[in-house]
Amino acid sequence: MANAPTIETAIDQLLESNRSLWRGCNRDRLDSEGITTGFALLDEALPERGWPPQGVIEVLSKQPGIGELQLFVPLMRELIASGHWILWIAPPYSPYAPGLAQAGIDLRRILVVGQVEATEDSPKKSTRGIPANEALWSMEKALQIQHCGLVMAWRDALPQRQLRRLQLAAMTGKTLGVLFMRKNSEHSPSSMRLKIEALKHGAEELTAIVVLKAKGRFHPKTVHVQLTGARP
Amino acid sequence: MIKSTGTTQLTLLPQAPQADRTIRPVRPAAPQQTSPQRRSSLWYCLTLPALDTLPPHQQEDCLDQLAQLSQAFSSAISLHPQALVFEIRSGLNYFGGAESLHAKYQQEVEQLLTRLASNYGVSAEQLAFNFAACPTIEGSLLLARGNGNTLVYRKENLHSALGQLPIESLQVKPEPQRRLINMGIRHLGDLWRLPPAGLRRRFGSDFLELINKALGKAPEPIKNYLPPPAFVHSYELPYEVENLSLLRPVVDEMIAQLCDFLRHRELCASSIKLTLIHEQREATPLEVGLRQASRSQQHLMLLIDTHIENLQIPAPVTALHLEVIQFDAFMSHSESLLVGVDKEANNTGDPAAASLEQFMERLQARLGGDPIKGLNSIEEHCPEYASETVRPGENATASATPKNPRPLWLLDEPLRLSLRRGSLYHRQAITLLSGPERIEARWWSGSEVCRDYYVARETGGSRLWIYREREGDRHWYLHGYFA
Repeated sequence: MANAPTIETAIDQLLESNRSLWRGCNRDRLDSEGITTGFALLDEALPERGWPPQGVIEVLSKQPGIGELQLFVPLMRELIASGHWILWIAPPYSPYAPGLAQAGIDLRRILVVGQVEATEDSPKKSTRGIPANEALWSMEKALQIQHCGLVMAWRDALPQRQLRRLQLAAMTGKTLGVLFMRKNSEHSPSSMRLKIEALKHGAEELTAIVVLKAKGRFHPKTVHVQLTGARP
Repeated sequence: MIKSTGTTQLTLLPQAPQADRTIRPVRPAAPQQTSPQRRSSLWYCLTLPALDTLPPHQQEDCLDQLAQLSQAFSSAISLHPQALVFEIRSGLNYFGGAESLHAKYQQEVEQLLTRLASNYGVSAEQLAFNFAACPTIEGSLLLARGNGNTLVYRKENLHSALGQLPIESLQVKPEPQRRLINMGIRHLGDLWRLPPAGLRRRFGSDFLELINKALGKAPEPIKNYLPPPAFVHSYELPYEVENLSLLRPVVDEMIAQLCDFLRHRELCASSIKLTLIHEQREATPLEVGLRQASRSQQHLMLLIDTHIENLQIPAPVTALHLEVIQFDAFMSHSESLLVGVDKEANNTGDPAAASLEQFMERLQARLGGDPIKGLNSIEEHCPEYASETVRPGENATASATPKNPRPLWLLDEPLRLSLRRGSLYHRQAITLLSGPERIEARWWSGSEVCRDYYVARETGGSRLWIYREREGDRHWYLHGYFA
């Protein structure tokens, strides 16, 4: 059976020449090249070796502050460097400019939708929140802008139908959308679904990122990443 | 009822030129005398002597309304302080003479002023008016301010008609006025006898110019009153329309007309209103405010589409009504909203920037106000003042960032943390990771900030930015998430 491997390679080549064919067994080889996440371990675990270049990413986390934004800081930097915009749609808290600047994000490329100005007299008084349906509308329209960059929004949960709309908008606009959610939605049509959990591993603080779903991968995989590495 | 201050009949001054009067003309007026048949214009002047007792915006509005009314009588109207002058010679035949024109005009002015007086809440005396007509603008102003109710048909009679006016009606400054009185000049007629060169030396060329204009010896350029632009357009639909997408071609046509109108007048619209009219139901108004004034049909249509998209109508639409609420001057090179950052991108026609701007425009049309903001970092010790929202594209260049860690989220209102058996609680127990960073600021503002900031970790894994007040009850607060 000396020539058996050559037959396998031949079959491999044959199958790979047909791009519409997807092979579950060979999930690490996907044609499209993703955008690096900035975390080597996570890149390794994702089928496109990075974030998908377009589509909606769902991020599930039970509580705020466990690194859900840190996870996307390298991506934001990357997109801004290539001249894209970062849109924050109805964020739950105020994005804090000094913190973002520390993370190396160019503030001039950040746009916040649905936040009322805090005035000089009362910096604390700021009524946020555009109606929920308007926020979704804004996100859909923003995703449809060709090559806009990154659109981020925050929801508790979303029905499948609305998720599908957003995913479709992201595909038409070739834009990346990130939805931060609290509740898991089954059978969602989004490109990727992640879950973030904090871990305490001895003295080290790690964040567990569970890839629940990613196009080109069919069983969940958990990655432990140190998101706050550079921080004191 | 507003009454004019004098008699309501125009007194016709003697028409025959008084050739025997010993007037020393300021300049030999030979050419004018050789062509007495030349039709000169006749200016009708309306003054409101007490108008300056009203606030400026009411004065402006009052004159504006009068000017609009006068448009029915003349095509050349010019506005002056507390007065309005228009040309009537060209319309004398149509109105059947100066008297009937005057009677008609006076009646309408009285009606308008009575209405305005009750609108403004002022007394009738404040809107009392005076009128006069003569062949020069300045002359008619002087006559109306003087005695009023005078009509002078011919230029030759101006000397005598104006000569009777007291010198005060020239309304010069107090100092020259005093000198005129000291020179023994009581009436304008006294001026006619003085040599023009001397008058110029004593009172300046402006003074002489005024007199020459009044006497018709100097040209009087006028600035014609132009009514403010208005665009109102209605369209009756041939049948009732329930499906709003069927309205699109009609609206498109109306917007096209609007854009033509704007192009012809070098204008832009910055706020338009489209009203959908229903039978037996209240009309549905759609107000479209623009971030940036525009006259592009495509652009306006897009904004209206945004509004129509999810509109609920109570009944089928029977008619449409389009109106411009706010006009703006047209700028051929309107600045991009995302100035600075985007300049090169716009020049190269970056589609993302262009459509992003369009997106912002639609967002504003839909949500109203200024829903989209940029972020700016300020060098400021007090944490809540170190970040501000600005108009997109107005961010300052990057300022120095603090050395100590700053969170990505900041709570608008610091959240008080509870202490249970000596340990801090938010939702779960909190352990301090690093700190303190002492921040003291704004001692001058009355709400002094004296805090020790710590980076902390909640049992669940959240990284928090918390602080303890150094004064008062020394409570702990949560101020941000590192996220």
